[in-house]
Amino acid sequence: MPHTTTISRMTTTGAPPRLSTLAQWADRHFKWLLVAPAVLLILALSIYPLLFSLVVSFINYDFQVPGHAFVGLKNFERVVFDPVARWSLLLTACLSSISVAIEFVLGLLVALTMVRSFPGRGVVMSILIVPLFISPVIVGQAWTLLLQRPFGPTNYILTQLLGQEVTIGWMTERPWLYVSLIIADVWQWTPFMFVVLLAGLTAIPPNLYEAAELDGVNAWQAFWAITLPHLGSMMLLALTFRLLDAIRMFDTIFIMTGGGPGTQTYTASYYLYTVGFTQFHLSQATAGSWLFLIFTALVVTLLVRRLLKVEPV
Amino acid sequence: MAAVAPARRRKRRSVPIGRMLLLGFFLVFVLWPLYWMFNTSIKPSDDYLTVPPVWFPAEPTLVHYKAALFAYRGLDGLINSLIISLSATVLSALLGTLMAYSLARYNTGGQHLSFWVLSQRFLPPIGIVLPVFLIYRGVGLYDTHIGLIIAYTVFTLPVSVWMMFAYFRGMPKSMEEAALVDGCTRWEAFWRVAVPLAAPGIVAAAVFAFIACWTEFFFALILTSRTAFTLPTVFRSFIGFQGAQYGEAAALAIVSLVPSIALGVLAQRHLVRGLTLGAVRG
Repeated sequence: MPHTTTISRMTTTGAPPRLSTLAQWADRHFKWLLVAPAVLLILALSIYPLLFSLVVSFINYDFQVPGHAFVGLKNFERVVFDPVARWSLLLTACLSSISVAIEFVLGLLVALTMVRSFPGRGVVMSILIVPLFISPVIVGQAWTLLLQRPFGPTNYILTQLLGQEVTIGWMTERPWLYVSLIIADVWQWTPFMFVVLLAGLTAIPPNLYEAAELDGVNAWQAFWAITLPHLGSMMLLALTFRLLDAIRMFDTIFIMTGGGPGTQTYTASYYLYTVGFTQFHLSQATAGSWLFLIFTALVVTLLVRRLLKVEPV
Repeated sequence: MAAVAPARRRKRRSVPIGRMLLLGFFLVFVLWPLYWMFNTSIKPSDDYLTVPPVWFPAEPTLVHYKAALFAYRGLDGLINSLIISLSATVLSALLGTLMAYSLARYNTGGQHLSFWVLSQRFLPPIGIVLPVFLIYRGVGLYDTHIGLIIAYTVFTLPVSVWMMFAYFRGMPKSMEEAALVDGCTRWEAFWRVAVPLAAPGIVAAAVFAFIACWTEFFFALILTSRTAFTLPTVFRSFIGFQGAQYGEAAALAIVSLVPSIALGVLAQRHLVRGLTLGAVRG
């Protein structure tokens, strides 16, 4: 290819002789030039805001209190000694681990039914993955339509099935509101587990099962001795990815319960959102989000670092 | 699940009943909320509170769709969502491909740089969005299309980079090396040789970036208000009205889930890579 076309492709302004040195320079630093736009954008919109919020968390930045005085650790103290904050962190841990556990078991079961082909498998597959492409807001809305009294048909269906009057306040009574939130999460994200675990299952060489069968190994033993060990790294990956998303839980709560009744369905994200954007204690919210960030970072370094080593290259 | 080995012994056409029953239940579980939402969206308001519930309306109506799109500004949200999601998708796929190529072929920055990008994916949005909100108010990007486009580009970059990173690593180097030997610059080897070969991967990465933007709620909730609001944030208007707006909410939901589901099902071959940021090849 002629060299001149290269030059005109790489830059559009300036005189030709200087361009060729510029082109040479660009060619030499090619790998950094490719990385630069993305890195700069992430620095500007992720790292800079994080540093900025670190500053904000040590000063007074509150729409209700004027001035930006340095207040030391006061914002952090406010979060740490707020019983609602501790409650929301506990609820986040409980809700996310219960949801992810159910999704994992259900996803594994469904994946096992889908390993081998059967008529209509393609259609079933397409239906099963649909929840992954729906906004969590809409998932929350859909379950609200099903569960909310007196509009939703769920209590009526349960009444018919159980043969006795069912009047559960799915969005207002403990523990049912937690059940509702978990159902919505399970509905949306079981397909994630299913898809990832199915990829793991199909990667297991079938001749292992054939050999096991010849040795007279029963199905249950084969599952423990072949399926589980081969699926190990995939399970870890699926659980990690899901857990890191589950602890952000916000959208379905926003739509389904609005954090209520009272503060009963405050998760960490919902708590910080309320502190920052409905009470306008912005510095307290940033301090809290830094604490939450540190919790998440611990989980990330523990789980994801390990994953990077397991992952096939 | 206990039937892995015995099923193999039987003829291929016999279908284990317990297994199919489980699958059937799960299919109903997946489809039922979608059906009920569709049903609600075409149901006249008079049918809302009947006992037993109306399983299918005798006289389907489109009034809720009309109200959701016009009275509740759903159409404005739809247009905003399209503009913002498409722009962010193009930017994210472009910048992501550039960076991924450099990481995959030149090992730029070693593992640190790629892990750093990946870690962005796992930052809780609440930690970012508060300061971004303050910065945006300061520089006039709050409630603008451009503001949300930039935010969404950054928010989808880790997925684009990692999906393309995995794709380039799975591609043989020989074509690009031949181009370099023939006197191409590195840029030409990338732009004229590698990018066309990687086109399917780029399209797949773009599809997942688009779905992520289209379904995103949290950033849009906080960074927009009356001008650049996206479709998911319109659902705020339906909270707390105790029943009156169920049809509108359902109608808007149906309108909004069609594009992302269609794209997602079309791109399902790449789904595993999309969900695991390229860590697993489906």
